[in-house]
This record gives sequence, structure tokens and C-alpha cells, in this order.
Amino acid sequence: MKSGLKELRVGAVVITSAWKLIKMNPAIWAIIALVMIFSAIVPEKFLSPSNFVAILKNFAVTSMLAVGPTFVILLGSIDVSYMGIWMFGGALVWLLYPYLGLASIAIYPIFGLLVGLFNGVVHVKAKIPSFILTLAMTALLAFLTTYVRNISGVLTLTVPAYNFLRESPIPYLPSPFLLALPVIVVALFLMFFTKLGTYFCAIGSNEEGAKLAGINVEKYKILAFTLSGLLTGLGSIAIFVHLGCQTRVDFDPSELVRGLAAIVLGGTPLAGGMGGPHRTLLGALVYVLIFNGLFLLPGVDPNHLKLYVGTLLLGAVIAASRALKGALIA
Amino acid sequence: MSATNSILEVRNVSKTFDRVVKALDNVSVEIRRNEIISVVGENGAGKSTLMKILVGIYQPDSGEMYYLGRRIPFPKSPLDALRKGISIVYQERGVIPHLKVYQFLFLGLEEKFTKLGRLQLGKIIGLTQSIFEELGIKCDLASSMYELPPSIQKMVEIARAILSVKLMVEGDGESEVTPIIILDEPTAPLSTEERDALFNYLLNLKKSNSFIFVSHIIPEVMKFSDRIYVLRDGKVVAHHDLSSEKVTEDQLFREIVGRESYYDLWARYVYGVGKAEERRVVLSVRNLTKKGYFENISFDLHEGECIGFFGPAGCGKSEIAKALYGEIFADHGEIIMDGKHVKLKSEPYARIKIGIGYFSGETGKELFLFWPIRKNLSLVNFEKVCRKPLKIISVISFNAERSLAEKIMKKLRIRAPSTETECYSLSGGNKQKVSVGKWLEKSPRVLILEDPTIGIDVGAREEIYEVLLEMKRNGIAMILASDDPKEYAILCDKIISLKNGVVQAIYTNEEFRRLMEL
Repeated sequence: MKSGLKELRVGAVVITSAWKLIKMNPAIWAIIALVMIFSAIVPEKFLSPSNFVAILKNFAVTSMLAVGPTFVILLGSIDVSYMGIWMFGGALVWLLYPYLGLASIAIYPIFGLLVGLFNGVVHVKAKIPSFILTLAMTALLAFLTTYVRNISGVLTLTVPAYNFLRESPIPYLPSPFLLALPVIVVALFLMFFTKLGTYFCAIGSNEEGAKLAGINVEKYKILAFTLSGLLTGLGSIAIFVHLGCQTRVDFDPSELVRGLAAIVLGGTPLAGGMGGPHRTLLGALVYVLIFNGLFLLPGVDPNHLKLYVGTLLLGAVIAASRALKGALIA
Repeated sequence: MSATNSILEVRNVSKTFDRVVKALDNVSVEIRRNEIISVVGENGAGKSTLMKILVGIYQPDSGEMYYLGRRIPFPKSPLDALRKGISIVYQERGVIPHLKVYQFLFLGLEEKFTKLGRLQLGKIIGLTQSIFEELGIKCDLASSMYELPPSIQKMVEIARAILSVKLMVEGDGESEVTPIIILDEPTAPLSTEERDALFNYLLNLKKSNSFIFVSHIIPEVMKFSDRIYVLRDGKVVAHHDLSSEKVTEDQLFREIVGRESYYDLWARYVYGVGKAEERRVVLSVRNLTKKGYFENISFDLHEGECIGFFGPAGCGKSEIAKALYGEIFADHGEIIMDGKHVKLKSEPYARIKIGIGYFSGETGKELFLFWPIRKNLSLVNFEKVCRKPLKIISVISFNAERSLAEKIMKKLRIRAPSTETECYSLSGGNKQKVSVGKWLEKSPRVLILEDPTIGIDVGAREEIYEVLLEMKRNGIAMILASDDPKEYAILCDKIISLKNGVVQAIYTNEEFRRLMEL
């Protein structure tokens, strides 16, 4: 009797919390809708194992670009230096491989951390707007990457020695995804199980109040940038492996949009104060599903894909921010 | 009173939110022709719920509504309420600043003055003129709303409410309709003279309208109402007809809060504690100066003592409070806490570490409105709700957070469905309690209070005072900067009066009371 009651209560809690989860994260609706639409139109292609692997790979790439900066956006600032960290970090790995051997991959997180720390300190101490600061950082690092490629006289900055990382020990779970998993776990842990998540939200939603509640605002701002850089650096390893153990050498603005799009689609407003990496992960999934599904649709010219995706994104971002407003008022 | 005088009546209205909070419990209210009735009560007593039912924003769970003696359904929307002759003027945000006066007056009613798709501006302006003449509003019709003084803005809002009722009401053409206008704390943004002007205006309008006046300012209510309904915890606990009975302010006060008057509080808490000066000094301030704000402020604050800085706005009291907490920085002087010098340019987080806390009544500044109560309370108490599996990692325990929140909510009697309730949905007094509650478990050595009860009603005030006095009795020292002399009389052992940032005199509590005739 008593245990039955307990089970009933547990069941109720599970259902209500699942409902809450969906209500709090409008992106889940988008994911469900996209999966249903594409599996109705192109079931053979969309529901195939190989497509599943492709989605996971792209998800890993997109989320690794977006998870770190989410912490900065929570603060109400913005960090677009992830492109630069990803590109030039790879160049550094390539440059240092002859000296450090396999350990040179560790350059990625270290470099990310340093760039993030630099961004944070300059942003906070010199009061430079974060967008222009981190954009300049990305521009600089992208230029440096291209420069390294040019003076070295090679086409790509590939380190074939890491090819063993491309083999996944688990079928259907591609190695970029497995490499991304720990980063995701760390991000979620920091958000929900340490005071960092709370502090970042506090600063983003009411900086004055955060200060009055005794939060060292400057310190946590710098910490957020550093964390963003570190997570991007770690995540870039997954992207590095995904691209065939090489880094990007030319700057592509649509890759820059990818990270921000995942964040906004997931439901972390650029004004900060709410949301978090969990939403960004959902947003990344939405982005990947749109891209993947459109690619599979018959009659869609792959050359025009970016145009379609861009247009769709514009609409989706507007819809996402509206849905969020509704969630706020409700 | 003859029954024919009654226009609108609601009987036995009940409304429950979230199946737990009983906002209204069998409330019956009657409004007669040409009268001003007042609905008074604490924040959360059910005043606004009742008004929202009258204008169709909420539907009651049970109850009946009668109009001129006939039973009618409750209004389904504000528009429906308008058609029934009921309109409301909200406390704030009713005015659209950049509209011209006549545009605002006819906002939403334009279709009645449109011919072939063209707005008949001439007609509208003419009508505005005659309405204003009739009601005695003097202002330039072509000016924008924001240019008008607040009292005139309020008058125009009221005129607009009456006009919309007159234009929208479904009359049977025979009997003249008496609009019922609900005024939700109309005097909140007004100065004393403006209040008087507004009330004279209302008394004039009473000849052809009825008003429901929602307020918690007792003297106003006493002065202008024909009848008073007192709501407490969702019930009508008293009903006074001022034409036939005499009610004192104190009596009304007790009915509203249902407890003893807060003037007795000081005596109750100070009894048996002994003199503060004999206890240990916690905080010493020497020659603290910030150019242009305050000069050479020196004092010793003992355990469990409260020192108030008193003076007119701009005398430097709030700047002193802020400088002690590190929200602004003093230029020179010394702040000594437990015998150790505090850096003048250290931020709030550093001051909290050594035991200085800060509480302001401006909840917008202090609270995270879209967060649940639980998180607002744990924000300064993280070390209490964290486990440390490794030295550098502290993991938040949700259960610890929740039980901390439950403990504080119980202690402060915060009325909310659960610890997960988001703070924006709380009433003003409960918000304030959450704000002060976070310090309850933190127990700083010194708590700095800036306008701790601004904007909340008498009952909630008393509860905040009780919490503060309790903390004080437990040895927490306090600094107060406020606008309300009563607050000093209730909380402070010593009052330092300031003028232009310079100390004028120092009073004990008794001296201060005598001086202020409290």
C-alpha cells in the first residue's frame, strides 16, 4: 500500500518534470517537429544509420563551437573568439607536433584558456565591448592561421599522426561525438552543480543585484571568458578530428554564425540572464537537423543549401526569441 | 439604505489559485449610486484579486453578481466589464507618455469617431474640451501626456475610464448609467497637494459616478470614503459605514493587520536586552568623508546595536550606507571591523566576507525576479548548500537548497505555494521578506539597511521589523538609512541627524521619539 503510493508519487514527479522540461525548453518542440517532418518526407534517407552518424558528427561540431560561448552570453556579453581558437589552435598543434609529438594536442585547451583569459581581462579591466573585442581576436587568429599555411607552403595543416583518433571504438557513435561528450558533461556539471551557473545567470539578469549579493562580478566575468575559451579549446579537438585531423585555414562567416545560431535557437537570449549549455545543446541539434534534413530533401540544390538554411535560420531565430518571450510571461 | 440605491453587488465570491492559495473566501461587496467605497487590506489580502474579478481578468470559482438587483454573469473580459459599466484605472503604466491629451482620452474609442475611415479630429478635440470643462480639468489639450503633472495625468486617466464606460455600456436607453470606476492605489505617485487636488476632483465626480478606491493609506481612506471594506486573508473582516459610525485610524489599522500596533514593537524587543553601549564594538568608523556627500562621520557600532542616519533627502545618509557596503567608495577616513582596517575601495563581495551585509527595500535591485525563491535565498548562502567532494569542487545540493529555503520561508511566514515559485509573482511584502531572508542564515555581523520597508503596507512592514529586531536581539548590529521617522523609532538605539553631510546632533531612541512626537 505504502510503496504503491510512493511509486505513484515518483511517476507523477517524472511526468511533471518531463512536462516542465519541455515547457522550459521550446527547442524540444522544434526537434520533435523536425524529426517528424523529415522522417515523413524522406524516411529511407533520414532514418538510416549512416545519417544518424552524420547527425551526431555535425552535432558534435556545432555544439563544440557553441557550448563555451554560452557561458559568456549568460552574462549578457558575447564571445565570438571560438572561430579563432579553433583555427589557430589547430595551426599551433601542427606547428608544435614535430617537437612535442602526440602531446601537442594539449596545446588546444591551453591556447583556448589563454585566449579566453586575455579576452576576459581586457573586456573587464579596459571595459572594451566584448563583441568587437572577440571579433577582432577571431579576425587576428584567422589571419595568423592563413599566414602559417602560406609561409609553410602547404595546402592544409594536417597532422596525420592523430588519425587513430578517428576510429570509434563504439559502432554508430562517431569519434568526434565521443570526444565532445566529456566537454558537454563538464559544461552541464558547471552549470547545474556548481555556483558558477547561478552566478553567471545572476550577473546577466541583474548585475547590480549580483554585486549587492556579494558576487565578485569582475572575477566571475573573467572566469566566464576563460571557461569559454577552455571549453572551446577542448571542443576544438573534436572538430579537428572530424575534419580529418586538420584545421580550417580560411575564414568562413557561416561557421561563425553556426555557434551563435545554436545558442539563440536553443533559447539563451543574447541579453543574457537565462538559458545555459543545456539549451545550447538542443539548439545545436535543431541547427543540425535543419541542415541535415534539407540536404536530404529531393530537389534541393546543395549549392543553394546555405541560402535556404540562412533564410530558415533567420525565421527560426525570430520564432525562438518570440517563444522565449512567451515562456517568460507565462 | 434602500435597496434601489445599489448598482452592483457581488455575493459570496471565492477564488483559489494553484488549488492552495485561497485568495478570496466568501467575499460580498456592494456598490451604491454616487458613493466612494474603499477596499483596504495588506498586500496579498485579496484586494487586487477582487478587482480583477470585477473587471473580468479573473473568473471566480463561485459567487454571484447582481446589477441593479438583477443577477448577471461575471464579466468575461475587461471589454465585457466596460459594457457592464465597470472600468479600472491601474496604479501605474496606464499612461502612454507620447500621446497628445485628446489622443489618449479617446484611445481605443476611435472607431466611434471615424467617418469613411477618417478620424474626426475636430470632433474629438471639441468633445475633449467640453469633457474637461465639465470635469474641471485644466490643461493644454495639445500637450503630450508626459508633460502633465502626475495628478492631472491621473485625472485624465479617470476621465478616460468614465468616457469609455459611457461609450461602451449596453444601456437599455431608459435609466441613466452610473459608471463604476475602480481606482487601484491612485495616489501612489502623487505628492500631498496633488493628492488633495485629486480627491477634490473625485468628490466632484461622485455626483454622477461611483468609485471603488483600493488603498492601504489609512488617513486617505478615512477622509474620502463613504464606506470601507476591510479585507484580510481573503475575507471581509470588517465593514464600516462612515456616515453612521465613527472609526479611528488605530482601530482600522488593527483590523487590517489583525495584530497589535507596531508602536509597541520596540518596547517588546528592547526589554531585558540591556544597554547596547556595554557590549563589544563591532564596527568603528573614523572621519569617513566623501567629497560632496558626507564629511567626517565617526561612530562606534556595538553588537546588537542599531544606529540610524536621519535627515532630509540629499543629507548623505544613503551615501554613508552605500560607502559602508562598498557600493560607492569613500575618499578618506577609516572603517574598522573587529579591530581590522577595511580597505575603503573594496567591493561588496569583500565586505560580505568580513561580515557586512546590505539590505535595501528596492526589491528590483536586490531580487532576481524570474528566479525561484529557492535560488534567491541560496545566492549568498552557497557555502551552506554545497558539498565538497574534492577540495576545489563544491557541488550544490538541491535538497539542501530547498530545505534552507523552506526553513527561511517558514520563519518569515513568506506566503507562496512552494520554494519554486518565481519571485515576480509574489506580493510586495513577500518579495521584501525574501530579500531580507537571505541574510537570516548568513548572519552577518553588521547589516546595513537602506529604506528596508519602502513601498510595502503596514502589515508586511511590521513583519519585516520583527525579523530585523529579532536579528538585532541575536547580536547583529545595524545601520539604518530611511525616510520614515517611525522606522528609526522602531529600530534604532541611536539616531545621528545629518544635514548636507555633516552631523548635527545625536539622539537616543527616547529623545528622538520625544522630538518627533512619536
